[in-house]
Formats: sequence, structure tokens, C-alpha cells
Amino acid sequence: MDGSRLETNRRRFIGGASAAVLGLRYGTVAAQDSSPSAYRRWEDVQRNKWTWDSVARGTHGTNCTGNCAFNVYVRNGIAWREEQQGEYGQSESDVPDYGPRGCQKGLRHAKYMYGKQRVLYPMKRTGGRGEGHWERISWDQALNEIADKFIDYNVEFGPRSVSTQLGTQMVLKRASFAALGRFATIAGCEVPEAFAGVGDLPIGVYMTTGVPLLADTMAAVFKSKVCLIWYCNPAVTRIPDAHFFWEAKYNGTEVIAISPEFTPTAMHASSWLNPKPGSDAALAMAMANLIIVERQFDPAYLREQTDMPFLVRQDNGKFLRETDVLGTPDARDNLFYIWDEVSGKMLEAPATGAPKPPPGSMVPVMNTGSLKLEGIVPALEGEWVVNGAEGPIAVSTVFMKVKAECQKYTPEYVSEITGLNPQVIVDLAQKFGAADPGMIFSGYRICKWLHGDLMQRAFLLLLSLTGSLGKPGGGLQIWNMPHEADQFAFMFSNLPPTLRIATMARWDYTHADHKKLNQQMYGNELAEHVDEYFEKSIENGWFPDYSDVKWKMGIYSGSNAANWRASGKRWRSEAFDQLETIVVCAPDMGMTAMYADYVLPVAHHYEREDFMLEPRTPYVQVLDKAVEPLGESLDDFAIYKAFAKAISERAKARGIAPVEDNFMGMPVTRDFTAYYDQFTMGGEMQTNRDVIQFLIDHNHGLPQVSFEEMAARGMMRNPGTETVMYDTDSPYGSTLIQAVRDKVPYPTLTGRQQYYMDHDWFMEEGETLPTYKGPLSNEGYPLRMLQGHARHGIHSTWRDDSLLLSLQRGEPDIYVSPRDAEERDVADGDLIRVFNSLGEFIAMAHVSSSMQPGMTFMYHGWDPMMFRGRQNFGAVVSTAGLIKPTSLVGGYGHVTYRPLSFEPNATFADFTVDFAKYTGE
Amino acid sequence: MTQRQVAMVIDLNKCIGCQACTAACKSLWTDEPGQEYMLWNNVETKPGPGYPRYWEEGGGGWNEAGTALNPGVLPLKEDHGEEIPLNFDEVYFKGTQEILKQEREMGKGANYDEDTSSGDYPNNYHFYLPRLCNHCTKPACLEACPVRAIYKREQDGIVLVDQDKCQGFRECNKACPYDKVYFNYVTGKSQKCIFCFPRLEEGVAPACARQCPGRLRFVGFLEDKDGPIDKLVNQWKVALPLHPEFGTEPNVYYVPPMLPPRFNADGTFDEEEPRVPLEYLRSLFGPQVDESLATMMFEMEKKQEGKSSELMDLLIAKEWKSLFGIPDVKVA
Repeated sequence: MDGSRLETNRRRFIGGASAAVLGLRYGTVAAQDSSPSAYRRWEDVQRNKWTWDSVARGTHGTNCTGNCAFNVYVRNGIAWREEQQGEYGQSESDVPDYGPRGCQKGLRHAKYMYGKQRVLYPMKRTGGRGEGHWERISWDQALNEIADKFIDYNVEFGPRSVSTQLGTQMVLKRASFAALGRFATIAGCEVPEAFAGVGDLPIGVYMTTGVPLLADTMAAVFKSKVCLIWYCNPAVTRIPDAHFFWEAKYNGTEVIAISPEFTPTAMHASSWLNPKPGSDAALAMAMANLIIVERQFDPAYLREQTDMPFLVRQDNGKFLRETDVLGTPDARDNLFYIWDEVSGKMLEAPATGAPKPPPGSMVPVMNTGSLKLEGIVPALEGEWVVNGAEGPIAVSTVFMKVKAECQKYTPEYVSEITGLNPQVIVDLAQKFGAADPGMIFSGYRICKWLHGDLMQRAFLLLLSLTGSLGKPGGGLQIWNMPHEADQFAFMFSNLPPTLRIATMARWDYTHADHKKLNQQMYGNELAEHVDEYFEKSIENGWFPDYSDVKWKMGIYSGSNAANWRASGKRWRSEAFDQLETIVVCAPDMGMTAMYADYVLPVAHHYEREDFMLEPRTPYVQVLDKAVEPLGESLDDFAIYKAFAKAISERAKARGIAPVEDNFMGMPVTRDFTAYYDQFTMGGEMQTNRDVIQFLIDHNHGLPQVSFEEMAARGMMRNPGTETVMYDTDSPYGSTLIQAVRDKVPYPTLTGRQQYYMDHDWFMEEGETLPTYKGPLSNEGYPLRMLQGHARHGIHSTWRDDSLLLSLQRGEPDIYVSPRDAEERDVADGDLIRVFNSLGEFIAMAHVSSSMQPGMTFMYHGWDPMMFRGRQNFGAVVSTAGLIKPTSLVGGYGHVTYRPLSFEPNATFADFTVDFAKYTGE
Repeated sequence: MTQRQVAMVIDLNKCIGCQACTAACKSLWTDEPGQEYMLWNNVETKPGPGYPRYWEEGGGGWNEAGTALNPGVLPLKEDHGEEIPLNFDEVYFKGTQEILKQEREMGKGANYDEDTSSGDYPNNYHFYLPRLCNHCTKPACLEACPVRAIYKREQDGIVLVDQDKCQGFRECNKACPYDKVYFNYVTGKSQKCIFCFPRLEEGVAPACARQCPGRLRFVGFLEDKDGPIDKLVNQWKVALPLHPEFGTEPNVYYVPPMLPPRFNADGTFDEEEPRVPLEYLRSLFGPQVDESLATMMFEMEKKQEGKSSELMDLLIAKEWKSLFGIPDVKVA
């Protein structure tokens, strides 16, 4: 490269000059310290640097979910530095311990929290939105003005005209989240749900298992035999966890990284496979095919745990149900059949046909009975004619259908789709088929594709075939969440449970005209197709209709939505800027706060108390207050308490009457004058610590101790969470252990891991089974742009830290392959315009041969404020209107609208771009 | 030789380039004016120019006979990059600037080439190399100092620049072939990694090692028979010094990297040639790298076959504390 040669030449030139200086040598001196015990004053200066006044336990309550135990060292009233607490001790004797969890971001926080991006006092906008002109105001003024607006919107348009958006800066702090949830419940605001909103919801996992999230602690990785790290980059995104992979490799585990680009994870893997972007489901289907053909599957597991032996009608492709067999009015449509090889008869599938829960129930299915096969052997393969109410019915099994679907995916065919050598595919399938058990470690990145659900279903198919799902050291590792019993108890204590959660993708579709966006980006046919199903799902009553009320006020707590929303500037003008009042509660400024009418200062991680639970470690982690909040900042509970008080006082002063509201048919009276009393539970909840203790007392998965004791220790071992899925005594989901070990039916329509979806819409979409559908493109733009969580930031937090920026390129960069760069006359370090039919942004080209030609890669989280024209990657993410018809289905057993489980997941990956050298400026 | 020599082994097969070590060191020792460009500990992508840029080409160290210093070059300040403040105030609170950026151009900073791979896809290669002062047994910096401000402590072999004695001649900056001595432009003195001696004196491992979430830095004394350093360096011989040809006898050692297999032209795996060319690894770690890699592969295969391996167990370090062979080690 020319640049480096120039630098080298300069270096040599200086080198020549310097050699002359070195001619004046000073002679050899003794290489030893002649007086080892000699007192040296300067050493004491150094020793004095490593001193402090006090230490507090803490961590960073942001959405990295690292849950790392830190000590925060305070000197002269300032949080001086932090260091990992480290001493976890071995959680189990045969796995590495968790210490010293942490990363460079956490280790910057004591410096970062005093940075000039901090919000120090309440501010009111004086210039135009985004201009950065503010007036400092008092908390009283801020809260009273906001309360008046809040009341006005409520009275004129109803509670749904206000939205409270909870961002990743606070949702994982359990007391913070509970406090915000309680406020939203009291006020009946709409809470747009960010889990599916950011495209993280694994609806394919939900379709198959009845729960959206599956994962164990990291100990499971160490115990795995073959671990496929699939379209996932834990070396960057899971810094405190990553060591378990390499330690597993040293311990004999085959760790195989699968990703188009050579990731930092691939660097340390036993081997690396590089399929084309978005082709992963095809690879999984090819492996499933080979495992079936080579008969490496586990029939006993399939018979018991999956719907594979369920009978399917050959005439209409539907499950054979009691309604088909009896035809009587009381026949059940959720009772299914299998063919028993022992008796040679058709039998009712065990544990199906349970009464359905009453309307309005929190759970859509309530299966009873046991999966245990008492003396029967459900056939996986065969064709039979059985007696139906209206005559003989030809049937076969789900397994037969799976087998037929898989047969399409020959190694040669899939080689064309993925670009992998057919023999490599065969070898991988062989290896995985032989693994007992096999593990697939993936993450939310697979959920970002429009057809991410099909990828998940294909991954799960591989795991079910091999009997790996629900076995220690095996299964699908995406993520897990603590049971929410404690937080819901707090949110709903003495209140009707009227938390109004909204699906972002659907709200935006309705209010930001995403039908038009789809037309412009992907053509009329696709746009009409999505729209037809969207409207039908509302007509059918499967999803709430948002069109009648538009948000007037948005309260963003720890949310930097303007950073990450797809379509960038379009979203900002069509949705965000449409809000009449924007309130942002944040510790740090960012794009979202720049648009605010009011910015309220929130205490940072070392300035507040709280605790966190994350599934990758079996520990509860405390945030203790090391120093007082900077400026006038407050913790989230204190802010919402003060806000509730202001609402009550203003309503009393203005004589505002209660408003009648209706929550899913339930009448609710919203009495503003009572909000403060309700929020504080009649004055019982006065501080954040009260909330924390309430949560500890209501969470049986936690050590039952006082917060003081917890805070003194920093982190504490949870009982029974070492292998999260396998222990019913854990605070995490345990669906799989209950099913695999205890034979409790899955919370799905069939009570099984459900691979066959016989709903009409799945049939119309050709998605009754796991299958491969390629990613969408923007016509005329040849390069796929992939994204992922960043090494040097957690979303937008710490992305603007000065040290971390100095350890990157000082400004946003995007990785491109040498071939694609050369074709466009772009050199490493050039600024480039990245564009498609939606828009463009400008970033520095980072040319690296780790990139597959035809792809670009950008770590996400760079704030729009760091880009020319304030346009970040969102400018080209044209996917905001892409909604799958199958994600709009309702009333099909477990497949029905359920916030955080089944709802349209926002799409972020199905777009393409081109780039050119930027010649502006 | 000093009475004892403290040493470090860094396992490059576990390093993920997260820079936690860099951040830990920075907060503790180099957050004062004049130290903005200093990273006593840094992590760089290899192959690549590193930090400071092209440090390997700057000369210094000893001649082949070990009798005299080689000529060395003064590292340029601009080749280090720098921590530069951002214009938060102007953008966020005064509304006088449009976008957020560093107050001045950074140039090519300390990790500019992060993840810039070498070779051609899909057979490209790169890895992370953490670097700190090697606290050499034959320190060129000490040799070069005209005022004997640099000394090597008898009790632990740590090489230090006495800030009371240093007069800022910068001969040490030129002499260190690793460019691990920095000039403080405010105090006018040379400064460098102190191996966290105040911590070590208290039985606490250096910040970069104790705070490494990858659990990949072993610390201990070379003389401790059967300590982790002795085992990895002398018994298993898998840990090697960086650029032994510089002649300074470093006391920081590296377990060289093994990357996943290359592909043949038809997309099958190439089991013959390693992904990182051996020539390149030899240029970094000397000819012993072949033996080190062979030992690592052999021991890893034993584990794959279900057999035991002391070496692998040592590197896995189930117990975090086992990384630190410091007498009376305290980890908290």
C-alpha cells in the first residue's frame, strides 16, 4: 500500500539522522540497580496514585447484559476508576469461573460519566428541534409544564395519546423498569415494546417451542461437544463471556464459526465456514436433510418431544383433528392423532385436546397431561387411511413432510445458494449429527432478517432431529430473560393490570405510511401483499388497531430511538417529529435528546442503586451508589415519582375530573389526582431502595437477603441457575427442562416442539415447515450491508468516549472488501457515500480482506450526531415496512398476539446498497 | 540477573482485542496532562503497523553479539495517535456546531488498523497482539540512559524510569526496539509501564492482567519452579518472547496464535498450510514458533480424544486465580 510505504520512507529518513546522534554513546552502564533497597521518592508518588477513599460495588446497568461485578473506587468525592471485582469463584467444579467479567467500556465509565455529554439539569428547548439551544429550568418548572401537557392530551385525546418509551439504558435495571412500568400502568400510556421493535424477537423460536427465548449460562458452552457459533460474533458482542468458547476449544470441543465475514470470533474458532449473507437457513436445511438421509436422527426424542409423528391429512394438508374424526359439535380442534406402531392403530396424541383458556387469559394455551409415551410408539413414517366423520381420510406424518421438504436441499443445490463446497456441507452435517449433544450458539442478529423466523425454525429442526434441544451442553443459545414475577407484582400492586404495550412495527406501519415505503423500496406487489394481510389481521380481530389514536406526546426514558430506527431521516420526519411534545430522560445527550422539548437529567450507573439479573451467569448483580448524582440528576424512580406528584397537584389545582378509559373491554378510571398516591402505594414506596426491596421480596429465584447485604457483596450466586434451562428453581425460563426431563407439554398448539404450522396463512406463504427463503434486495444496489453490535460501544452508549474513539478511527467507519473498494476506486481511509433508493450516509471506508466480496459491514450504534448531515446507517435501512403475514396470525393456539412473544418483529437486514468515493467538502 | 524476575505470558489464542487492558492501564496510570498519547499497554492488529506506527522498523535493541546498542529512531508523536476531546459543548449545548467530532484531526491512531486483515479472502489472516514494556533482562533503555535514571529493581526485575532523575534526553525512547518508552511533553521526562509495582508489592496482579476479561495473561516469577510462567516458558516451551532478535531478553512471552484452517481453491479445507504463514510468525517469535505450535496442536488433539492435558488445563485456567503465580496473591 502506498500510504504505508511513504510512512516507512519518512521513518527511514529520520532513522538515518538519528543514527548520527547515537554516535555519541555514553558508554555501558551497569544493567543492575546497585542498591535494591534504596529509597526512591518517585516510587512513592506512584504508590500514592493507587489509593482511594472508598469503594462501592457496582456495574453498568446498560443493555449489554454483561452483568459484570465491579468495584468503583472513589477519591475526593469523584468516581476515580473502576476495576472488576473478579472473584466469582468456580460456579461448578468442572467449568471455568466467571471472573473477571468486564470490558473496555465498563472500564471507561468513571471517566465517561464526567464527560461533557452529560445532562446536568432540566433543560427546555429554545431553538428549533435538533438545534441545540436550551434554557436551564428548575425541576419544578419542568415537571409542572410537562404535567400540564400530559393532562391536556389525556383529557382531549385519551391516555393512549401519550407514549412512554423505555430504552436500553434503563430496562435492565430492575427497579427502574418496574417503576416506569408502574407509571405506565397507572396512566394507561402506550408503551411501544422495543424487544420486537429493535428486531430482536425470535418469533421462529416462539412458533416452535411456545417461548421466545432459549439459553443457558455460559457453563453450557464449556460442556458442549460441537458448538456452532452461527451468524453471531461473541468475541465482539459478548466480551466477558467469550473466554468460555476458547476454553471449550482447549478442552476438546469443536467450535465452528459460521459467518460470511471473517469475524474476530472466527479468528479463534476450530474452523470457519463462510456462507453468503442470509443463506443460513439453506445450510441448516441441507444438514437436516443429510442427518435424515444418514439416519443420524433420534427417533425416540422426535416421537416424544415433537409434532413429527402427528398425522396430517393428505387431501388438504391440515393436521388430523378430532373435528375431522368425530364431526360432532363438541369435537375439539386441538386434539391431534398419532399412529401407534405397537397396536397398529390410530391413537389420540397424549396431552392434546385440553380445554382452552377463557378469553382474556394471559396465556393462549393451557396444555395438560404428560408427554410420556406409556407403551406406545408413535410412527414417524408411514401412510394410512383412517376413518373420518365424512369418510376415509388418507394421512401421513409431519416427519414425512419434513423429510420431503428437506430433500430439496441437496448439498449441490445448497452449495449454489451458500457458496460452500458440497463436501464441506456433508462433513459439517456428519459432525453435527454425531455430536451428543450439539449446540447452536446464535444471537439476535438472526432475528433481524425478514425470514429470520425460518432460520430459527431450521436451526431448531437440526437440534430436535439430533435430540439436542433441552440437553445439558446442547440446544439453541440465543438469550433468556428472568421471570418477571417481581416486576409485574410491583407494576400491578393494587392496580388493574392495564399495561398497554404496543408493537412498534405495527404502530409505525399505521402512522408513518409504511405501505408507501414498501412500494417505493420493494415494489407494488410486495407492498400490496403485506398490506392485504395487515388489514385482514385487524379485521379478524387478531391485532389491535392503532389507527384511531396518534401519539401526541412521547416520553423517552433512557432510549436513543433516533439513533437506531430504520429509515433514519424518514422516520424522524414521519413519526418522531410528528409528536407535539417530546420529553427525554437521559444521563447523556444524543440524537434523541437533541429533538426533545424537555431534557431531564438521569443519574448514571455509579450514582444510583439497583440490581440486575442476566441469564449468562448464575449471579444477581448490584448497582450501589458510589457517588452522589452529578448536577441535578435523579434516578428513574425519583423522576417518575416527582412526575406523578406534579400530575396530581396540577390536576387538583386545575380541578381536572377523572377520565374514563377502556382497556381491552375493561373499563378503567384514570384519576389524575390519585396518580402520586397510586405510584407510591399510598406513600409506602418513597425511594428507589424501597422498590428494590419490594422486588427482592417478590422474586423467589433470588437470595432472600436485604439489599444492604446484597450491596455489600456486589454479586451473589442465584440458587439453581447454573444451567438455566434445566432447573425449575431458577429465576429464568425452564420450559425445556420441564418438557424434556419432566415431560410437561410445551405451551404450543400441539403441546410439542411444533414444526408444522397448518394455519391457512402459513400455507399461503409456503411456510408450514422450516424452509429457506432468500433475503430481499433493493433493485440496482449490489452490495449487502450487514450490521452487528459494536466492540467499542453498547448501542450508542460509550460510542463517543474519547479514548475508545482513539482506539478506532476517530469517526464512523464501514468495512468493505478490497475487491469492491478497488472496483469503485476507493482506498482504505477514504470517505465514502453509502447509498440506495432510500437515502445515503457518509463514513470512512475500512478496507479489509476479512469481508466477503459483495458485502459491507458496519458496527451499529454510531449516533447520527457523528455523521455528516446527521445521517447514520439508518438512512439506507429500507426495511421498516417489511412485515411477514405469518407474524400477523392470531387465534392459532399459541400463535396469537402476545407482546414480547408473538408480534411482528421489526426487520433490519433485508436491504442492499452501493458506495462511491465521497467528493464533497 | 536480578534476584527475581517477574514475567508475563500472554495467550494470543484467547485475546479478542477488546482493549480492556488498555483502558484499565489508562485510567490508572496515564490520565494526566502530557500523557494523552501514551498507552503503556496497547493492543494492535497483526500483521499491521501497530502502535506507534511501524515500531518494528525503528531500530534500537542490541547488536547480534549483544555487546552494543543498535542505532534507533525517535518514535514520532504523531505515529501514536492521541486521545482527543470531542466538541460536545458546541454541538449539544451551544448549538454552534453541526456534528460531533474530535476537536482536531486524529490522524492514524493507535488502533487504526483494527481488524484490517492481511492476505486474500477467504484465506485472510490477522490476530491481536497486546504489548507492554517487556521489563527486559538486558534493557536497551537502561543501557542508553545518559544519566542513569533507569534502573532494574533487584527484588522483581521491574525496569523503571526514575522521574526524579530523568532529564528527558530521550535516548531510552530511541533505544527501546519495542517503542515502549514515551516522552511526557508536559513534564519533559520519559515514562513507561511500571508493571504496576505498587500493586505487585501488595500481592495484586498488574491491572492489565487482573482486569483482562479474556483470562489470558499469566503473571508470576520466572524462578518459581512449577509456577505458571516456568511451566509455559521453560517446561512446555509454548510461550515465546516477541522479536527475540532484538537482543533485550524480554520478560513478556506470548503463546503464538493458531487460526482456523485455510480453504483450498475448491472451498474444501486446506489441512496443510496454516492460515497465518509460518514465515510471518517466525519473524515475530523466532524459529521456536514451529515447536510451540506443534506442541499446542498435539495437546489440543489429546483433549479432543478425551485424554488429559496438563498444558490445556493450565491455559483453560478453570480457577481464575491460577493465572497469577504471585506469592500471597490477592485478587480483590
